[in-house]
Amino acid sequence: VTVLIHHCILYKKAEVEETLKRIQGQKGVQGIIIVNAEGIPIKTTLDNSSTVQYAGLIHQLVMKARSTVRDIDPQNDLTFLRVRSKKNEIMIAPDKDYFLIVIQNPSD
Amino acid sequence: MFTDETLDALGVESLWRKSQQFAQESRGCQTRPVHTAEAEIQPLLNADNGTQTDPQDHLIYQLPPKGELRPESPGLRDFLHRVEDMVVKELASNAKSHAFDGFDVNWEDQNETVSCIHCLQHPSAQEKGLQVTSISWSCTGSVIACAFGRVDDGDWSTEKSCVCTWNLDRRGLNPKRPDMVIDVARPVMSLSFHPSQPSLIAGGLYSGEVVVWDTNRTQDLILAQTGMSTDTHREPVYQRSEQVCFQVAWVPGPRRGEMVVLSAGSGGRVLLWTVDSDEGRLVLSAGFALIRQQVPHNSALSKNRGSSNVGVTSLALSPWDLDTFLVGSESGLVLKCSFSAQTLAAAPPDGESVTLRAPAQFSFSPRGGPVHSLHCSPFHRNLFVSVGTDGLAHLHSLLQPDPLLSLRVSDSYVFGVRWSPTRPLLFAAATGQGLVQIFDLGRKSLRPAATLDQLTGGQPVYCLEFNPRRKDLLAVGNADGSVNIWHLSTELTEQGPRETAKLEQLANEVAE
Repeated sequence: VTVLIHHCILYKKAEVEETLKRIQGQKGVQGIIIVNAEGIPIKTTLDNSSTVQYAGLIHQLVMKARSTVRDIDPQNDLTFLRVRSKKNEIMIAPDKDYFLIVIQNPSD
Repeated sequence: MFTDETLDALGVESLWRKSQQFAQESRGCQTRPVHTAEAEIQPLLNADNGTQTDPQDHLIYQLPPKGELRPESPGLRDFLHRVEDMVVKELASNAKSHAFDGFDVNWEDQNETVSCIHCLQHPSAQEKGLQVTSISWSCTGSVIACAFGRVDDGDWSTEKSCVCTWNLDRRGLNPKRPDMVIDVARPVMSLSFHPSQPSLIAGGLYSGEVVVWDTNRTQDLILAQTGMSTDTHREPVYQRSEQVCFQVAWVPGPRRGEMVVLSAGSGGRVLLWTVDSDEGRLVLSAGFALIRQQVPHNSALSKNRGSSNVGVTSLALSPWDLDTFLVGSESGLVLKCSFSAQTLAAAPPDGESVTLRAPAQFSFSPRGGPVHSLHCSPFHRNLFVSVGTDGLAHLHSLLQPDPLLSLRVSDSYVFGVRWSPTRPLLFAAATGQGLVQIFDLGRKSLRPAATLDQLTGGQPVYCLEFNPRRKDLLAVGNADGSVNIWHLSTELTEQGPRETAKLEQLANEVAE
């Protein structure tokens, strides 16, 4: 029974990595960060200091965006957030327990 | 008959019991006297600091215990499963989208024009016909200092000159009256503000001396100077000429937080001076000598007779590698040098207090005439630009001898070149015809993106410096004794979206 559980965990781990690889392979993707509900990064393809910076700032932004949407209409909720800047675009897919942050430079 | 009597005690020795005492030897030892010393210290500054680790469940990076696989964060796989398709779709459509093409946002007021906002002059220096030889911005970006001297004088000048400073942020700014005028006995050839202390200025004089002024003082502004000792840039007496100090700069010293003054002169010496403010002296701490025979790959110049010293006319420090510096010479050599070079210089000792070393490590392809100015790019560790009397600006990579790009700046001499601190592809060059040409390497054409006419009636422009804090100001020093402060347009100061990538591309091109 123990062996079976270990295989399941391995399988799950490999799937997560595969998914991230697929996303990373899209055109222009510069980095991916997965942040948990408390704003702490749990997976990243960027360096430490950038990751911590992005995680902290974006968590606050998503919370603000979500409360804006729900204040306007309490039945509504945030599904996706895109921040476009001169140099790149940050895409955030929020969820109950995690956020997925992808930084893309579309012209790359 | 009966009397008391006491009898002696009688002892009987034991026959079978022997003395338990065996042979005994005593030895003693003692350590040598222990040296003790007492010393007291007192910290001047105190700081308290505390740290605390996070509770175990808040740690970001947890290493899995050996031999056991920790389960993934619960629900991560399902979360990714849910969002993957949506995210991939958005990424793909974003990459193809033209929705934002040409879309620009104005967060700040756009400045379309380039204009000269100040024309600073010191009338008494102008009357004497002095030229502006060097300018420097203070580290705060509010004060501009300019040095007066002469560039075109061939012989030893005993002219008195001065260093003037203006504070551009002061309300009562009078362009014709400097805030401070420091009188100097000799023409000043080079000036450099201290990179973190806004009151210190280092200057190199025509006579080879190096002086550090402290503008905070009320009397006698000289904080330290080299004086006419054998250490200064001075050739042996029988040659009857003195070395001109063409460049001064502040470089980090051996101790943390300390800056030393670097000076380079026409005698081929690059010297490092420590500031001893108590004695008011600059003490020589290290020195380098550039000797022609020790310059690598020097086949082209061995035909020259004359002095074996390589006279330094320009110097550039690399902001990326504190050990590297570039030197441009009177004969057109451009050399990559190192502060940590250990080879001894083949120069006859001239009474200097330190042994001179030979710093040159690599020689770039030589120019046709003296190299007046060099500058390392603040955006790419391998790129630098050099200009000289041949009227061309050469863009070099530190990795190869031939230039990557050669631009015609002017038909006459080019005296100064500086990279823009905000736009990786932009640099400005000062010409002998009184113009400042600004080149944008991102453009297809090799013609300048902007030309600033200094209105000097054709007299040369000798130096130019970008303001380190305010990215839209450029100061230009002219031969007619005036310093013009230009306000650049947004196009020349705002970084475009792909500039760093284009610069990287340029740097990686191999010259044909």
